[in-house]
Amino acid sequence: MTATPHASRDATRDGQAAALPRLNVRSLLREAEVRPLRIALSIGAGTAALGSAIGLAAVAAWLIAEAAQMPSPAALGVAAVSVRFFGIARGVFRYLERLASHETALSGVVALRTRAYDRVARSDASRVLSLKRGDIVARMGGDIDAMGDAVVRSIIPLGVAATVSLISVAITTVFLPIAGVALAACLAAAALLGGALTWRSAKLAAEAGTVAAARVSTATLEAIEGAIENRVWGRRDDALAELRAADRDAERAAELAARPAAWAAAVIQASQGVALVVSLWLAVTAAHHAGLSPTSAAIVALLPLSAFEAVSAVPAAVVQAFRSAAAARRVLAITPDRDGREDGDGARGADAQPSAGDSANRDNLTLALDGLSAAWPRMTPTRPVTTELLSGGALGIVGRSGIGKTTLLLTVAGVLPPAAGSVTVGGTRVTAATLGHTIAITPEDAHVFGTTILENLRVARGDVTADEAADALGAVGLAPWLASQPAGLDTILGAGALTVSGGERRRLLLARALLSPAPVHLIDEPAGHLDADGIDALRSLVVAMKAAGRSIVIVTHDLAILDVVDEVVSLDVD
Amino acid sequence: MKPIDPRLIARIGPARRYVTVTAVLGFLTAFTILIQALLVARMLSGELAPTPLTEDGLGSLGWLVPLDTRELATGLPVLITVVVARVLIVWAQERLAHRAGTRVISELREAVVDHAASMGPRWLATGKGTEVVTTVTRGLDGLLPYFVRYIPQLMLAATVTPLMLVVVLGLDWLSALIAALTLPLVPMFMILVGLVTRDRSQKHLEAMERLGARTLDLIAGVPTLRALGRERGPATRVRDLGNASRKATMGSLRIAFMSGFVLELLTTLSVAIVAVTLGFRLLEGGVSIETALAVLILAPEVYLPLRNVGTHFHASADGMAAADGALNLLEQAPIRVGTAGGRSVALETLPLVFDSVSVATGDGTRLAPSHLTFTATPGTLTVLRGPNGEGKSTALLALAGLLPPDEGTIRAGIGGAAVDLNDAGADAWAAQCAWVPQRPELGIEGRALSLGQRQMLAYDRALASGRSVFLLDEPTAHLDGAARERLIARIVKAAREGATVVTATHDPLVIAAADLVVEVRASPVLSPVAGPLGASS
Repeated sequence: MTATPHASRDATRDGQAAALPRLNVRSLLREAEVRPLRIALSIGAGTAALGSAIGLAAVAAWLIAEAAQMPSPAALGVAAVSVRFFGIARGVFRYLERLASHETALSGVVALRTRAYDRVARSDASRVLSLKRGDIVARMGGDIDAMGDAVVRSIIPLGVAATVSLISVAITTVFLPIAGVALAACLAAAALLGGALTWRSAKLAAEAGTVAAARVSTATLEAIEGAIENRVWGRRDDALAELRAADRDAERAAELAARPAAWAAAVIQASQGVALVVSLWLAVTAAHHAGLSPTSAAIVALLPLSAFEAVSAVPAAVVQAFRSAAAARRVLAITPDRDGREDGDGARGADAQPSAGDSANRDNLTLALDGLSAAWPRMTPTRPVTTELLSGGALGIVGRSGIGKTTLLLTVAGVLPPAAGSVTVGGTRVTAATLGHTIAITPEDAHVFGTTILENLRVARGDVTADEAADALGAVGLAPWLASQPAGLDTILGAGALTVSGGERRRLLLARALLSPAPVHLIDEPAGHLDADGIDALRSLVVAMKAAGRSIVIVTHDLAILDVVDEVVSLDVD
Repeated sequence: MKPIDPRLIARIGPARRYVTVTAVLGFLTAFTILIQALLVARMLSGELAPTPLTEDGLGSLGWLVPLDTRELATGLPVLITVVVARVLIVWAQERLAHRAGTRVISELREAVVDHAASMGPRWLATGKGTEVVTTVTRGLDGLLPYFVRYIPQLMLAATVTPLMLVVVLGLDWLSALIAALTLPLVPMFMILVGLVTRDRSQKHLEAMERLGARTLDLIAGVPTLRALGRERGPATRVRDLGNASRKATMGSLRIAFMSGFVLELLTTLSVAIVAVTLGFRLLEGGVSIETALAVLILAPEVYLPLRNVGTHFHASADGMAAADGALNLLEQAPIRVGTAGGRSVALETLPLVFDSVSVATGDGTRLAPSHLTFTATPGTLTVLRGPNGEGKSTALLALAGLLPPDEGTIRAGIGGAAVDLNDAGADAWAAQCAWVPQRPELGIEGRALSLGQRQMLAYDRALASGRSVFLLDEPTAHLDGAARERLIARIVKAAREGATVVTATHDPLVIAAADLVVEVRASPVLSPVAGPLGASS
């Protein structure tokens, strides 16, 4: 049912990755709450580190040139000390720079993630509930980390490349201005041309590479996950041939992107070579004809050998900038901007307090579906449904797979706008804002958190006591299971609840539903047959909910529980 | 982790060729760096010497660059040639690296996928398949930096560093001695730092992983919290967890960066010491200006590849780990059913006999099915019945020759003419079975279809396949009403037309239509069972 929206979202994501992403540094830093001073400090430490390498080269050149003039040993004293100082300073400042830049990036990541979490949590309910778990984790996990990497691997190295290059040019210019100009030109060519070619490579890799990588993934998945079916139906060779074809595609795409990358490397090497040749020529000529001192000539001639270290980092920094920008776009796609349209839907801040549950008369919480028909965009709407469910009533929704039962349930929850008709509780129209207050929903794939059993139940209501929790677990037949847990309610469940079996997981979610304070609860039962325990749990849930005066709507495949509901709606047309 | 996995070199042709070519390019690079340094020393020394140079200051290496390159007019053209050569080498290295990298990744991926496709249903059911998909797609893509950056630097460290050391020795033994003494200090100190900080960094790493996992878990639950109206509190928790994680990470980085610090400190400091020593010896006339310049230029080159290897090692670690996982899988034995080139059996007319067949579960704690015995005859419908997890689907897989039983035998035919599946050709056996799983995928064509549509198509195809044996797993689980009755009628019809039909089901309507109903039961493993997946493994 949700296949189509996901497919279209994936397509947009690929499209976005392929589009030329722009990294707006200032807005990134603002979002990440990074103070410019911290960036400046990191760049300063990085400059001191690479500057020490330049200083070492310059002073060592001076030292050798001066020594060749046979002065008294005392004349070399200061230079000898400076050379050793620079030899130590490089390592020390590099260490400081790495710590400073990582600290900055990591705090930035925390701020970005908190903000992104907040936005996702408060954004449109239809958007949140249709997000795939893998997508959320990838966007909020790896992609936000990649945004933080921009600080360490892009912004700071680029800043250091600029300042260190300026230092080299300044030193050269002091001794021989024309050589300074030449060095500046070569450094600029290396940085700008090398950077531009790398950017082109990254762009080509994103454009052709993303499509090719998707084909490779599909072919790999099909060949491995479908291996058994392929064997029975004689498709194994076809699947491997498709993978080989996809791999050739990927190689061609990589080849396309590799060409400018190789040119970028060549351009940087060539710039350094030209700088060396020109500086040597200028220095020797000036020393010979224009009276440039031997020490100055040595510095000017030898500096290009160490001056290019900082700009050599430009390609990697550009690639990182590209990656971070692409990651930022993907994150933005699931976390609409503060100024985005999500602001208006009332699902955030204090105004998010729902009107229906609190303002309407609590005794009249009749759920009314009036000609309600549900559909994801561009899908066939479900058959219109009209029914009323009084407080404490139970409604079952049945129908073939794929007919739209889950879609209808999400519409009743207010997550999706109705394709036609309306949903009201106590006469008030249901919206995304009522979700979680008047109406709560337990989707098929509800999350079991990697925390204690008790905390997992408190997800429904923060003040659930241990007794209430044990009662709820008992009501869904989990009392023996609870008794077998090493630390009882304080037993920590594995992340993703891998330590919990499928049936236990479903029943835990039902216990959670039982504890939810919402007067109307919607339950989406997964496809497939429930075992006897599962059916018992569902039945006792319905009975307990009704006894508490709460309404319940269940989407189910299992007709066995339908005798405890007050009404059954079938979505089948025939 | 070894710098270059020997299995990668042994198995993947392009990897082998690339390492060889890169080593050659490494030597060429070393040679151009040497000539460049000697040329610069020649051209510059004339201006630095207080009196005109008469002797060849480069000693035993002087023959590499003729004395007349001291003149700019002769020296510069040679230097330009060297610069052009270096640019070409760098360009060629990049191109080769990308090509070889993508080639190796493709070949490794194809080898692993081919192998994984033979690992059998039990292996797939443990979720290893999904893991392998991730490893050979995104994981192996991480090998590209390994090939493009790390291997070239490793080769340079193996060529440039020793070659430069020999050259410096030829020029000035004292500088060579300084370098030779400091070089072993680099790995020594790095290992020492590693040992001293191992426990602390392990502690930090664990804290980081734990906090990271908790944050992601919280994030993964956003839709659930939203569905219950409880989404607003956790933002603070995300921030707190993030800050705790940042502190743990910084703690571990402070330690991790120590090895980088030691590397930088030792290499830069020894260059500085070489420079200072040269200066004072120049003053005493101990070395010539040409030698001093050449050594000054070459000294950093001794250490540069080592520094770069360190830098690129971490960027390549993920790709190397993925390659390691991929190569490990290639070493695992694939599943074996039947005998390759074994007897071919016509299942069309033969009954299929399950004789006390048991299959151990993946964790080896249970037999599911346990000691299952029945005979499925052509022209009849056999139903396997029993609670979930007792081994009904596994029995169907074994029947199709997709999974070897751990105990008991599966035979075609009765009496003396019966053929044991172990002696038969499993491919030919499987090709006579129309097996439909609970969640058919249907390959590429199934991708755009919903589960319901895929099932419908899978049954259409299976029932029209003309195969002799139908193995149907929960055929009516997702069907209601008329569609369910229609499918049951088609299954019964297939049996009446002579096929051997075996289904696993709970459906009372299917059970009512069955000619034979078999109860499937699992049992706990009491004694170790034979076979690779048994409790003994």
